[in-house]
Amino acid sequence: MKTEIKLIGNLYNQVLQDLARPHPFAAERVGFVFGRMGTLTDRGIVILLNRYHSIPDNQYIEDSTVGARIDSEAITWAMQAVYHGRPTREGLFHVHVHGHKGETGMSAVDSREISKIILGLQSVGRAAVHGIIIFSLDHGSSWVWLPACKEPRRIDCISVIGSPVWVFEREGN
Amino acid sequence: MLSTDRYSRQSFLGKDSEELIARCTVGVVGLGGGGSHIVQQLAHIGFQRYVLYDADFVENSNLNRLVGARDIDVLAETSKLHIAKMMIYGLQPKAFVNGFATRWQENPEPLRECHIVFGCVDGYKERHELEITCRRYLMHYIDIGMDVHGKEKPVIGGQIVLSSPGGLCMKCMGFLTEEKLAEEAALYGNAGPRPQVVWPNGVLASTAVGLAVDIVTDWTGTRRPYAYLVYDGNKATVKESATLWNINISACLHFPDSEVGDPVLIEL
Repeated sequence: MKTEIKLIGNLYNQVLQDLARPHPFAAERVGFVFGRMGTLTDRGIVILLNRYHSIPDNQYIEDSTVGARIDSEAITWAMQAVYHGRPTREGLFHVHVHGHKGETGMSAVDSREISKIILGLQSVGRAAVHGIIIFSLDHGSSWVWLPACKEPRRIDCISVIGSPVWVFEREGN
Repeated sequence: MLSTDRYSRQSFLGKDSEELIARCTVGVVGLGGGGSHIVQQLAHIGFQRYVLYDADFVENSNLNRLVGARDIDVLAETSKLHIAKMMIYGLQPKAFVNGFATRWQENPEPLRECHIVFGCVDGYKERHELEITCRRYLMHYIDIGMDVHGKEKPVIGGQIVLSSPGGLCMKCMGFLTEEKLAEEAALYGNAGPRPQVVWPNGVLASTAVGLAVDIVTDWTGTRRPYAYLVYDGNKATVKESATLWNINISACLHFPDSEVGDPVLIEL
């Protein structure tokens, strides 16, 4: 069963440009991208990302043990957005950048923290797919929680439909 | 890097171009006069992943333009899909070809995995349906088509249209109109066979493939969000459509960014 993500080039550039901005105190920025599901053959799924939400500077919390920590207001906003997106089964994807080239993976902090956020998003948007997307400087990886699933599924491929057409494939695929 | 000198003559496309091309999944809907040219060129260039659709078999009247078809294919009732596959495998033995001898609407899911779709179909309605699918599942759509007008003094015309998600669509560009769709609907089943010849199809297909290679590799740096080129077969010219000259919109009016993925029935 193939699972992939697509987004257009303008959205990809918007995300990378926003996340590259220095924050007054956080070591990195995070954001949210909205996405909807499409079906592929053999019960495969394509997630189509369609817009980005930049987290305001004042919704970050100072915490030197992590690259970025967002406050309850940012999380509340995310949960409300998912709640309002229920009629169209719109899901939310936490996004950030690892500043190296090549395929990237979840850090220990990513693994620990993202599952808490996903639990919250699933509680208000059960029929949608949610997840985490991590871009590197020239690649991208993602893990998604399909509706009613407690464990994440690693995305096989992220495609950027712009010019050039970037296809970030999971190694070993 | 996939090879050494096979693509040395197209190295100007960029150092990563071979990999970008090899990773891109291309769809070709319609493998007749236009589609057969496109498939041949894509295989030469190095594309490795294909999704193909055509429900037809080779007929005698196809041999004036169907690239790869031979006289014996008429007797053998070879499918156009088979001709396209043989063309691809002959040039790219390791290519992955997902081919369907059906209408694409009967099995649309495989098409959704594409990054670029070439529409080489006959009617406006089918073009419109393909564009809708490409917008919903985020794929570049490149449409080609030709026609011959008039009997006393025949005029060969054609178009190449690029419709990318986030850019202007075929209606915004003035190619697809409600009048054309209505006129076609009124002629349903009575349009008759349209004149088709090999060289205009070659011009249209080559221009379309050129747009695709530019999109995939960005070798020109143009990054065009849309294109509508008009072919005049009598003058042997390809020019930007006059409908784009006075266009004063920057965003598509017909396909909102949020309208992606499987349609969802919303209860009121």
